[in-house]
Amino acid sequence: MGEDEEWRRFEVLAMPHLDAAYNLARWLTHDAHDAQDVVQEALLRAMRYIGGLRLESARPWLLQIVRHTCYSWLKENRPAQQVSLDDPDDAWRELPAPSANEPPALAIREADRRQINEAIAALPAPYREVFVLRELEDLSYNDIARIAEIPIGTVMSRLARARGLMRTSLAPGRPALRTVTRSAQGGVNA
Amino acid sequence: MKTTGEAWKVHAFVDDELDLASRLAIEQRMETDTALRQQVESLQALRDATREHAERHAVPDDLRERMTAMLRATRREAPAPAAAPVPQPARAPGRYAWAHAIERWLAWRPLVASTAFVTMVAVGVNVAMLQASNTDKLMDEAIGSHVRSTVGEHLVDVASSDHHTVKPFLSAKLGFSPPVRELALPGSVFVGGRIDYLGGRPVAALVYRQGQHLVNAFVWPDSGGDSRPSFASERGFLIAHWSQGGMRHCVISDLNREEFNRLVEAVRVAAAS
Repeated sequence: MGEDEEWRRFEVLAMPHLDAAYNLARWLTHDAHDAQDVVQEALLRAMRYIGGLRLESARPWLLQIVRHTCYSWLKENRPAQQVSLDDPDDAWRELPAPSANEPPALAIREADRRQINEAIAALPAPYREVFVLRELEDLSYNDIARIAEIPIGTVMSRLARARGLMRTSLAPGRPALRTVTRSAQGGVNA
Repeated sequence: MKTTGEAWKVHAFVDDELDLASRLAIEQRMETDTALRQQVESLQALRDATREHAERHAVPDDLRERMTAMLRATRREAPAPAAAPVPQPARAPGRYAWAHAIERWLAWRPLVASTAFVTMVAVGVNVAMLQASNTDKLMDEAIGSHVRSTVGEHLVDVASSDHHTVKPFLSAKLGFSPPVRELALPGSVFVGGRIDYLGGRPVAALVYRQGQHLVNAFVWPDSGGDSRPSFASERGFLIAHWSQGGMRHCVISDLNREEFNRLVEAVRVAAAS
């Protein structure tokens, strides 16, 4: 394949996912300017790895590169924010069932824009990324596993915990923004 | 909190990630198990609230332009693309069909000829190269057409949310009168219509937007009787095709399965009205 065809392939297959790339970067860095830097850097990287680009998986392919770029960018520029979770691969088998005191569906449906966005932003990064990929980008467990480079079981357990934290912060009577990040990190490996 | 070995199934159920048997088993249990039903409802409420309210950050225009310019600049350094032959000797008939379609397209639409030609060659080359050996050629063309339209160069010929504007335009250009209706589906926006080519014939392409997703509904005359929709999943897109009222319908999108099923139903209802 000629070099020129590769660029056109890139333009046709990868560029439609630029919004998804930016959205992920924006949610992971919490900052519009940082997200722009990350996306630009990620696209440059992506062009170097263009051989891995396929029509059927262009979106996970690009998002995986964006995620990588995000974390190396954060490591370099925000070393204090690094979070790593070593949850076991089979944690999904032992997910806690939702407890009796959690908010009923009605209370969640009444949550407003600010509450939802603050609750997502407050999720620890490993939970936030699977939540954003699933609920905002509508990706399958399979694609999320590929992007985040974790087993599908871990996708499920992180997604379940992300939802648990979301429901806790959306519970009525609580301040909309709790420091979920701090408290959740302590409890992750419990 | 009590622990259960099955909590993951509730999430997978809401995410439409269960196989059919497990899915039916959960649906059946929900009829009697109130706690389970509440769990599902709570998860669905969170999903719906998130989809409604969560910020989907669109890439800023200047960054998109910068990136596109960067790509184009890189392309110009490489040899001119227009005369490049399709490097797939085994696909000679397909190549002929494409060449034919392009020729007819050019005759039809001189104003967009230059962009359309470059886009069609690009997509034609890509689709030909990426094509799985045993997929239906028409599905491939539909995917190619869908991808091409969503790349943003040529989504609609007539942009209007009013079917009274779109239908006469398409009928005049096509020589048949496709059923053009807004969909009775929450969140569905009718974007407009365009003339496209599938299988070497001109077809009507009706474009809808469902949330963040674009939907192409292709319609052309068909002499066969009515049929139920067949669904296929190809390269991350869902496709449904069926015959109804003397027309062949082919709907394609990257929606999730649940939303896609609802959409297809809405298209069928609209086509019947």
